[in-house]
Amino acid sequence: MPRWLPTLIALALGITLGLVYGWVINPVQYTDVTPDALRIDYRTDYVLMVAEAYRAEQDPALAARRLAVLGSEPPAVIAGEAESFARQAGYPSDDLSLIQELSVALQTWQPIPGTSLP
Amino acid sequence: MRTRRFAWEWLITLILGFGLGLAYAWVFSPVKYVDAEPLALRDNFKDHFRSAIAAAFASNGDLERARARLTLLGDPNPAQALAAQAQRMLAAGEAFEAVQQVAMLASTLQGGVVVNPPTAIPTDRQEPAGQSSAPSISTTEASSPTIQAEPTGTPIPLLTPTLRPTHTPTPTLGAPYQLVGQDTVCDPELAEGLLQIVVINATRRQIPGAEIILTWSSGEEHIFTGLKPELGHGYADYLMAPDVTYSIRMADGGTPASGISPPTCTTTDDSTYLGGIRITFQQP
Repeated sequence: MPRWLPTLIALALGITLGLVYGWVINPVQYTDVTPDALRIDYRTDYVLMVAEAYRAEQDPALAARRLAVLGSEPPAVIAGEAESFARQAGYPSDDLSLIQELSVALQTWQPIPGTSLP
Repeated sequence: MRTRRFAWEWLITLILGFGLGLAYAWVFSPVKYVDAEPLALRDNFKDHFRSAIAAAFASNGDLERARARLTLLGDPNPAQALAAQAQRMLAAGEAFEAVQQVAMLASTLQGGVVVNPPTAIPTDRQEPAGQSSAPSISTTEASSPTIQAEPTGTPIPLLTPTLRPTHTPTPTLGAPYQLVGQDTVCDPELAEGLLQIVVINATRRQIPGAEIILTWSSGEEHIFTGLKPELGHGYADYLMAPDVTYSIRMADGGTPASGISPPTCTTTDDSTYLGGIRITFQQP
């Protein structure tokens, strides 16, 4: 047996153990996640909340500020994605119409220059 | 001798390999988490989430849906978390409508009454000689939960939609408050000059979010109930300054409590200290 073979085997075994420990047994844990990492159904439900509030408030700027939490995409795009998912997942028609209403409002809404989203 | 040296080589190489593997797994290519749940959100984003839940609830009045959504955040006591958030929002000077929505949901979850929105806080108020003891946040919230990677390809569970209510609750118009209690409190355990105010409705349930106005010769202060939920949702307090006489009234009107100043109390060894006052306002 070559002299270097046991060393190589030990190294490979160590790396394997390290990977198993780091990926499976004790992986990096995320506790302070940002909303853009939310699962799509939770993102869609957040958009639905904003849409529910929008129906009463009729304030697209406020709705856009709330949606900005979900990422840097334009609010209309975020609402559009949520609408697509809600349709695909078979959301109740009432909820779908709420998201649609918000989506349409945001497509026509123009932010006032000088105001910033959070 | 040869065997022992051989084992050391093995062990060192194994540890080196382990370190390399761990560095790769933790630093260069850590597990990436993309399908997070709301309970893993950073605290400030949880606040955004709660605000959105409260805004939706203010719009549709669907308490069951709001409750289901709050469950996703993993707060051990959602009502308390909401009340604490309302306190933080007030302290941060956020829009009062947003604060009111959060406070209203907290109140509704507690089975409390829906209160009428307090008027805006004046911006040009003069700082009092005393100070509110409200800003301390003692609410305990769940520590940030950790998440584990989930298998991919599994069906995505959706929130169970709940039926909409047939009507949306609207804030009730407040009746003027009556001063029903004014007691001197001599308790050396309490802060000196502590003014405690409790606001209750006609059925003696405590009312959160009620605005109280304190005035004295050189200034005015507005405080709100419910910012210390651990002491009661209709509770508010304020530290009175010595030698200052206060008048206390509810912002919605009613009988004021006038001539309020911290009393002098005596301990068992004849030393004196500033006592407190406990006032109760009630909606008739």
